[in-house]
Amino acid sequence: MVPVLRLVQKEFRQIFRDRMMVRMIFLMPLIQLLVLSYAANLDLERVRIGVLDYDHSPASRRLVEAFHAAEPFETAAHASGEEGLERLLVRGRIDLALRIPRGYQRDLQAPCGAVVALTVDGQNSMLAGQAAGHARGVLQRVARREARLRGWDLAAVDGGIELVTRFFYNPELKSRRNIVPGIVVLLLTVLSAMLTSMAVVREKELGTLEQLMVTPLSARQILAGKTLPFAALAFGELAFATVVAVLWFRLPLTGSIGLLASGMLLYLLVTLGIGLLASTVSRTQQQAMFTVWFFLVFGILLSGFFVPVENMPDWLRWLTRLNPMRYSMEIVRAVFLKGAGFADAITQLEALLVLGVGVFGLAVLRFRKRMT
Amino acid sequence: MNRILAIARKELLHVLRDPRSLMVALVMPLAMILLYGRAIDMELRELPIAVLDLDCSAEARRLVEGISAGGFIVVAERLADRSRVEPGFRSGRFRAALVIPAGFGADLAGGSSPVQLLVDGADAATAATVAAYMERAVSQANRRMVPAGGRRTAALLDAELRVWFNPQLESAHFIVPGLVAIVLVMICALLTSIAVVREKETGTLEQILTAPVNSWQLILGKIQPYLLIGAVDTALILAAGVLFFDVPMRGSWLALTGYTFIYLLIALGLGLLISAVTRTQQVAMFIALTVTLLPTLLLSGFIFAHAGMPWPLRALAQAIPATWYLRTIRGVMLVGENWHPLEGAVLLAMALGTIALAAALFKERLE
Repeated sequence: MVPVLRLVQKEFRQIFRDRMMVRMIFLMPLIQLLVLSYAANLDLERVRIGVLDYDHSPASRRLVEAFHAAEPFETAAHASGEEGLERLLVRGRIDLALRIPRGYQRDLQAPCGAVVALTVDGQNSMLAGQAAGHARGVLQRVARREARLRGWDLAAVDGGIELVTRFFYNPELKSRRNIVPGIVVLLLTVLSAMLTSMAVVREKELGTLEQLMVTPLSARQILAGKTLPFAALAFGELAFATVVAVLWFRLPLTGSIGLLASGMLLYLLVTLGIGLLASTVSRTQQQAMFTVWFFLVFGILLSGFFVPVENMPDWLRWLTRLNPMRYSMEIVRAVFLKGAGFADAITQLEALLVLGVGVFGLAVLRFRKRMT
Repeated sequence: MNRILAIARKELLHVLRDPRSLMVALVMPLAMILLYGRAIDMELRELPIAVLDLDCSAEARRLVEGISAGGFIVVAERLADRSRVEPGFRSGRFRAALVIPAGFGADLAGGSSPVQLLVDGADAATAATVAAYMERAVSQANRRMVPAGGRRTAALLDAELRVWFNPQLESAHFIVPGLVAIVLVMICALLTSIAVVREKETGTLEQILTAPVNSWQLILGKIQPYLLIGAVDTALILAAGVLFFDVPMRGSWLALTGYTFIYLLIALGLGLLISAVTRTQQVAMFIALTVTLLPTLLLSGFIFAHAGMPWPLRALAQAIPATWYLRTIRGVMLVGENWHPLEGAVLLAMALGTIALAAALFKERLE
């Protein structure tokens, strides 16, 4: 046991001697947590509308005001003609164009009702559909108000099935609440996989790995000495990120801390294994970094970090099942937001256990083969 | 000129000899377009929900059938009581639960009847989409059973909706042009900076300097192979986008080439700038990833809209070349607008600025 501790001590000393490393471990996570959380926002906000009002009636003004007052719309421009409105869309000055036809107020009384034209800039497919949905919602509210103004009996107007929606865990529907726990997983992954692989390869590059091999340390002890420091650092980072998530981002953290810790422990087994594997196939730190980076670029996309796994085509959804990041993200989010305990995360824990033992085992085998 | 070409040839040989860099340069962009083009989609596809039907009437069955008819939503589970809803959310087995109260069918015959939709709101974007989809499904169901003599508010005021620039709301049309911006920064800035720093590290830069070339010739020679790789990557992505993802090309290829060339120069300039201020490959790589790639991915508007960011980040986004380039490439391809004077001027200024600064720093360090 003592030789392993000496090795761990040496590793820590090496990490803290390098100013760059220290910055990478302590400053980067904080910056990433803050910048990512505020940048990775998928909520519909500040939808700029351009208005072309042909009717100039009290009713059309009420409609424009209703849009202006409704979240997330803001009136950005009033166009005076068809061409002006189109220019605004083409130039990207507005996201949504509202045309109110002549006779709008009169048509509200007519049996077929009034029709306004909405043109959405569809470039951002993710937001355009939502914006159109919100706009329809505003129109429905306006219709109700106009009906009430005219003294119609709303009970006769409405009716049928009435949908009462309640949102659990996130009543204001802010995507940030989901992003922050995801970033915690990202930080752990980068730290453990990248630093492990680089630490091992650096010794290869400098030739000190061979020096280690001639010492009476066994391969297992060398492995433990190389992975334990990063596992410890990763847990330190997990604690730090959890504190930031609770105090700064006000996440509830109602779930089981034990589940969070054990889920992350299993996940670390995978990421440390990936780091070691990358180090066995790389000769230079640069190659090691590239290899881990390659895993990250696709792992993040297929983890459900910002694109829900359910939305992906079948073959991609199948691929996500092999992605350890997906399971750890599900566990961390369920613990932070939904108050999950062990019973809720059995599938995820099982998957991580299988992947962890598999990847880490493979890494150990390859590492030992290289050593002897 | 011959000297520049000689250096370019040497650099190209370096790249071709290292299969892993070459793989990063050519395979990574293709893999990215395949996965990012397909995976980033906010449309629902077989989203699992649960149904708690306490009524068991024909009307209730019809409502559930109507909701799952489109294939956007599938009923994954039928619950026996309400206490099973939250465990399902916690383990992620379904994302929403529809609760049909007892007496639903009877109430509906009398005029109106409430139905409860419980949504797992943790993933806000999906939650909003599910709620909107269910609203639409219910209002369609309602429209089919208009009571005699009744008038619906939906018929009072309606919208004729048109979607411009991307009528099918295909996410690939939005993502693929953005990938050009990402890949060019990733490949050009990263590879260029590493290539130059490698020569510094191994000391071969000094050997070249004793040869009769000046620093300008050296820089021009060194960036040529990466200019070529960048051009090949751009062509690969755009070809894959137009051929396999049906991304439209509404503007002119000439305009697109012009803007892309300027942006490519910025990426190369950034690579040179990084190599001028760093001494080891590891640091160069680290800076290239954190200073160029991450901001480009997160702050350029590639996926996350600027409108949703707080003002300090929105201000920071203006300093990122990809912010301006994305507007031009999407403008040319999707909108069909070739003329972007403001964006073009900003990009040109950035290109001249980075390259001049890199050359100045380089010269200073070399002497």
